[in-house]
Amino acid sequence: MHILGLVLIAVVIASLLTFMSDLTTYDSIESARTKEGKFVHMIAKIDTTKPVIYDPIKDPNLLTFTAIDSLGFTTKVVYKNAKPTDFEKSTRVVLKGAMVGEVFECKEILLKCPSKYKDDPNVQKNQLKVVSEIPKLNAQP
Amino acid sequence: MLIGQIGNFITILTFCSSLLAAFAFYRSASSNDILEERPWAKLGRVSFIISAVAVVALFVTLYILIYNHYFEYKYAHQHSKRSLDVQYLLSCFWEGQEGSFMLWSFWNAMLGLMLLRVEKKFTSPVMFTMSLVQLFLASFLLGIYLFDLRIGTNPFVLMRNEFPDAPIFQDPNYLAKYLTDGNGLNILLQNYWMVIHPPILFLGFASSVVPYAFAVAGFWKKDLVGWVRSCMPWSLFSAGILGLGIMMGAAWAYESLTFGGYWAWDPVENASMVPWLILVAGIHTMLIFQHTGRSLKASYFFIVTSFILVLYSTFLTRTGVLGDTSVHSFTGEGSTLYWHLIAMILTFIAIPVILYIKHQRQIIVNHQEESMNSREFWMFVGSLLLLISAVYIIVLTSLPFFNKLFGTKWAIGEDVEYVYNRIMVMVAMILGMLTAITQYFKYKDTTRKYIWSKLAIPTAISIVLSILISVFGEVSYDKFGTGFLLAIHLAIWTAVYTIISNAMYLITVLKGKMKAAGSSIAHVGFGMMLFGILISSSKKELISENNTGIGVPGLKDAKGREENPLENVTLIYNVPTPMGKYTVTYLGDSTELKNNKVYFKINFAKADSSDPSSVEEFEVNPNAFLVKSPEGNQLSSNPGSKHYISNDVFVYITSWLNPDNIKDTASFHNTPITAGDTVYYSNGFVLVNKILTANKYDNTDLPLVDSAWLSELTVVSKEGRTAQVSPAYFVKDGQGSFKTDTVIQQNLVLGIQRAKSGRVELALKESSAVMRYITLKAYRFPWINLLWLGTIIMVAGFMISLYFRLKSKLYVV
Repeated sequence: MHILGLVLIAVVIASLLTFMSDLTTYDSIESARTKEGKFVHMIAKIDTTKPVIYDPIKDPNLLTFTAIDSLGFTTKVVYKNAKPTDFEKSTRVVLKGAMVGEVFECKEILLKCPSKYKDDPNVQKNQLKVVSEIPKLNAQP
Repeated sequence: MLIGQIGNFITILTFCSSLLAAFAFYRSASSNDILEERPWAKLGRVSFIISAVAVVALFVTLYILIYNHYFEYKYAHQHSKRSLDVQYLLSCFWEGQEGSFMLWSFWNAMLGLMLLRVEKKFTSPVMFTMSLVQLFLASFLLGIYLFDLRIGTNPFVLMRNEFPDAPIFQDPNYLAKYLTDGNGLNILLQNYWMVIHPPILFLGFASSVVPYAFAVAGFWKKDLVGWVRSCMPWSLFSAGILGLGIMMGAAWAYESLTFGGYWAWDPVENASMVPWLILVAGIHTMLIFQHTGRSLKASYFFIVTSFILVLYSTFLTRTGVLGDTSVHSFTGEGSTLYWHLIAMILTFIAIPVILYIKHQRQIIVNHQEESMNSREFWMFVGSLLLLISAVYIIVLTSLPFFNKLFGTKWAIGEDVEYVYNRIMVMVAMILGMLTAITQYFKYKDTTRKYIWSKLAIPTAISIVLSILISVFGEVSYDKFGTGFLLAIHLAIWTAVYTIISNAMYLITVLKGKMKAAGSSIAHVGFGMMLFGILISSSKKELISENNTGIGVPGLKDAKGREENPLENVTLIYNVPTPMGKYTVTYLGDSTELKNNKVYFKINFAKADSSDPSSVEEFEVNPNAFLVKSPEGNQLSSNPGSKHYISNDVFVYITSWLNPDNIKDTASFHNTPITAGDTVYYSNGFVLVNKILTANKYDNTDLPLVDSAWLSELTVVSKEGRTAQVSPAYFVKDGQGSFKTDTVIQQNLVLGIQRAKSGRVELALKESSAVMRYITLKAYRFPWINLLWLGTIIMVAGFMISLYFRLKSKLYVV
């Protein structure tokens, strides 16, 4: 039994160690730039002032856009896949990929959309405000 | 307004009656004097029944709010909508935090009532735990303020009380004017699996407390041995239902989510699987205990931990600590739920730990090492393996929580699935092996001769079969190198071994007697699941491989590896496009106005290689919801699949150009033509082959029109593609009319016209509005049906074991 216990501990440690080598970090655009070529999770927003290009006729596997983070840094992003649903609606994105030169090459996009945050009271409140503003405008002569 | 007050009253009633029940059962269980014990137990029983009735009433009340669309209530406003189909109104329940706690509470009440009926020995201590869970669940629905701290969220709050600052509530007619419809149900949940999966899963979660309650009761009443017998059937029930619930979630993910599979190692999936692994480990150690008297501590640990992990998974998925890692986004109600759940978890950890410390000296431990030739030895090894895999999964899943605790910023690296799969393929391999051989061992000791005589045939059959599979099965998943591929092949062998050897055990050793067959049947099902998982994942085939994508110059994979194949293919309306072995055509779409749902018609045709005249043809109908947003309609896609016995073709739309969104702004340009002319357009030219003129005076074949101009044209694009078109122009009673022709690939609309001068003109328009297209992904999942069949067989095995245990004298009712 004791031998089994030791084997168990050894296996757990070994598997956790292998897993540690696969860990990566959450980064801002600036810190991702300093780790060029390293796979990171970048937290940012889609820069809506810059064009989001996706033309499925030309290439259904190419989406390019510009990401901006809370510190104001921007980077061009290339995502070789179809444009995700609700892409423009998202308030925040987690971009998984690596900086290659000046461009962030993204492997996976996780979107955070306001619609999913139904239970968030602040979002609810804002929605109510929008609802209440529309009739007021109509009431004006 | 009355109904809300009734709801509020019932909420408080549930809380108070479960509090009273917990207190009464505590007094009853703590007392050793039968005269004192009885009246407390009676009070507890009555209180628990009241709370159970109240929970049912609560359920009904909330359903009335949703069903009648009372949008002044926040819950109805947030989770429902007038246009929602009736069958999905139930799904509104589980979408919200409060509704799902209510569902849990409902099952807890039902299980408690059942325990009150059947349990004779440990009634009071077991019912104490049940009442305590009921109390905590009720407290999540309270929504009362203790000083500045809000405890729980009440599902019966009104919109106007929740958002008093919103200006709409200054208008006394706010309900009729502004709150006319709700926000509706998340479209991903509008799927039939979402009606049935949550109740089953929550029954699994809720029932995991019963084994825990028996373990605690045993230590509390100093009956360190007796609890196992009562605990066993409930553990089998819970493991069966929880397993079924998890796999129903997988089926939902397969049918309505678009990550292209049934399992993505998503935190929500992991969190529900880990308690199941631990519970299954606990069932095996309890079996060891019942037959040999060993592994009591391990059993106690596994059974108790399984329920604590259920609570922990609730904590992970509901408080928002998972944050950015899950495709399921959850935001809790902030810090109150966070601490509320932590308090619950700590309470349910403290109880068994204190009891264990108090009574551990009385546990009789057998210090003698088990024989390697005993069944218990290998069963224990298997249980440890289940524990290791559970620890591995839960540590990885908890990473965001650890980040929050320690202020770190770690995340799982590049390929999340591989990080799990490379460990799990090992686990599957060893677990398959153990499951195959262990039943042939007898408890305590077995002679080698006996084992080999029984195991030789299944071993030989499985080796032959799996070599055949390895050689002819074309399992060649080498994305992660040869080592991983080898592990997959070995795991396929052990999965086959498990199926064969347990099926043979059923025939050769048990001689088909059903009484002890439950475990063998469950193991066969488990083997089939492993086999289905291994084959469908490693042979998962991308049909929509796109090699025409334009590469971006200067961009290469960071490690210099080859790029993953590009997975999306664009199909133009009515243009057959080769895709893998198929020729695929987008035949059209139809919109269901009520739900704003679009159904796509996509035809797959495959010519038989041996007989070109026979074509295998089928239609797949993926669909998608159109979600209105300021940027235009967004698509939320549901996959469609063609099911065969041996494989599924699985398709979903990734992009669609909605014709309603485009305005045709292009106009025709006219050029005079005669036969033999060439007219250029932006991407090529048009050859005028022939122009025919006819009128009804010299041609009696024209009964419908007075005169006609017909043309035969060839469109040649820069890429060298040609298309034949034949636009025409008719005149009847002095009125002209076009018959235009289009070349969709070239965005070209062509017509001919007779100009006033009498010459024939070619009218040419280049317009993107003629273009109708979709972009899709298509996969093939071979043998995925084995996974679903295996699940059913495994659950059936659990239930057969449960049935015969309840029938036999092992379980004293």
